[in-house]
Amino acid sequence: MLQVKCLTKSFKNKKVLKNISFEIKKGQIAIFLGDSGVGKSTLLRILNDLETYEKGYFYLDNMPLNLKKINNDHTIGIVFQHFNLFDFLPTYKNITLPLIKSQKKTKAEAISIANNLLKKYNLLQEQNILAGKLSGGQKQRLALARTLALNPQIICLDEPTSALDPKLTLQTANDIKQVAAKNRIIIISTHDISLVKHLNAQLFLMQDGKIVETSDTKNYFLNPESNPLIHQFFSDFK
Amino acid sequence: MIDIHLIINSLPNLLNGSLITLKIVIVAFSIGIPLGALISILETSKSFILSAIINIYVTIVRGTPVLIQIFFIYYTLPQFNISIQPTLVASIAIGLNSSAYVSQILKSGINAVPLGQIEAAKTLGLNIFVTMKDIILPQVFKTSIPSFGNELITIIKDSSLASIIGVMELSKEASIIRSRTYDAFSILLSISLIYLLLTTIVSYGVKILNQRLKINAAS
Repeated sequence: MLQVKCLTKSFKNKKVLKNISFEIKKGQIAIFLGDSGVGKSTLLRILNDLETYEKGYFYLDNMPLNLKKINNDHTIGIVFQHFNLFDFLPTYKNITLPLIKSQKKTKAEAISIANNLLKKYNLLQEQNILAGKLSGGQKQRLALARTLALNPQIICLDEPTSALDPKLTLQTANDIKQVAAKNRIIIISTHDISLVKHLNAQLFLMQDGKIVETSDTKNYFLNPESNPLIHQFFSDFK
Repeated sequence: MIDIHLIINSLPNLLNGSLITLKIVIVAFSIGIPLGALISILETSKSFILSAIINIYVTIVRGTPVLIQIFFIYYTLPQFNISIQPTLVASIAIGLNSSAYVSQILKSGINAVPLGQIEAAKTLGLNIFVTMKDIILPQVFKTSIPSFGNELITIIKDSSLASIIGVMELSKEASIIRSRTYDAFSILLSISLIYLLLTTIVSYGVKILNQRLKINAAS
């Protein structure tokens, strides 16, 4: 279980995260909802040691989690909103490079892992194409495959469907479900209701740097009015 | 006006001079590129002291004439009982000078690499040296090829300054032939054409390399 307690973050004088706390169990999908600028992406960036923070306590399976080390021991991985692939490298090298250079796998091991993932995500034919030349959906899948290759326990996805059409959104939802089924913790930042509808997830609505309402997709979609703020949020986006 | 006989008779000497010129250019470029790359990497360091040292080095090297830098190494090293051949002195001085310019070329290239790629590298557990070597510099080198071509042309032209400390490179050979024959026009025209040939080859090579990289990227 991942526990985040009293997380506070400011940019200059503006507080973007105000003492937020939450828990996510293994195998669970947590979706952070909220308008742009409420702190969703900042939260994911802090968890991936891309931002500093003023205050906060992090635990994984009741053990303190040192965010300064999580990138090196691959506890957490992130799929960025704009994928942040190494566009100048062939598709397969986007996966093998971190495996070889960071996890010290042999080239043969790295290629084997990459091939399995490329096959799983239907990218085997594109393995020698430069990552920058892939379509939006292919880039999304490659970014997920690159993160999964390192086998992190927690995977963050920042606006994973913002550039995808409804068909690809469904495919991404299925990919996410499969990943979560392997007892991983999935943390998603989104305001895409079509993605939320396809997932069985915990919902955290953020407003003004705080978690203002929580629910889960099953209960929410059975009775949306029971979560007025989340309902209002989705209504605004329709 | 043009003494063809003099030019033909001078060709062996000019050829020897050209070889020394090429030697200086190759050594200087071999110093300038890796040292410039190292400086550009160190420049990204968050250490204030390191940044300050790099800044001072680049400012001094870019702000003083190459000729003075050649003199500086040529005349001051013997005071510390260090003896280096004049050809090597010129190569080192021109190479050090080039490194400051190369570092600035690479610095602009590094700044142009999307921050997202650097962040992705960090989250994938790649350390800063791997990120530089495998992610940033390969992209920067590709986009910097035209600027490196210009730098190589500058080095070719700067190599003529080695004549001041007695290196028998192309300009010095020409100078000796001119003082012996008093025919400045024929001999200066000859070496101008040789320099032009060298710089044109570089320009053309860079153009072809750039086109090939564009084709590779497109395919």
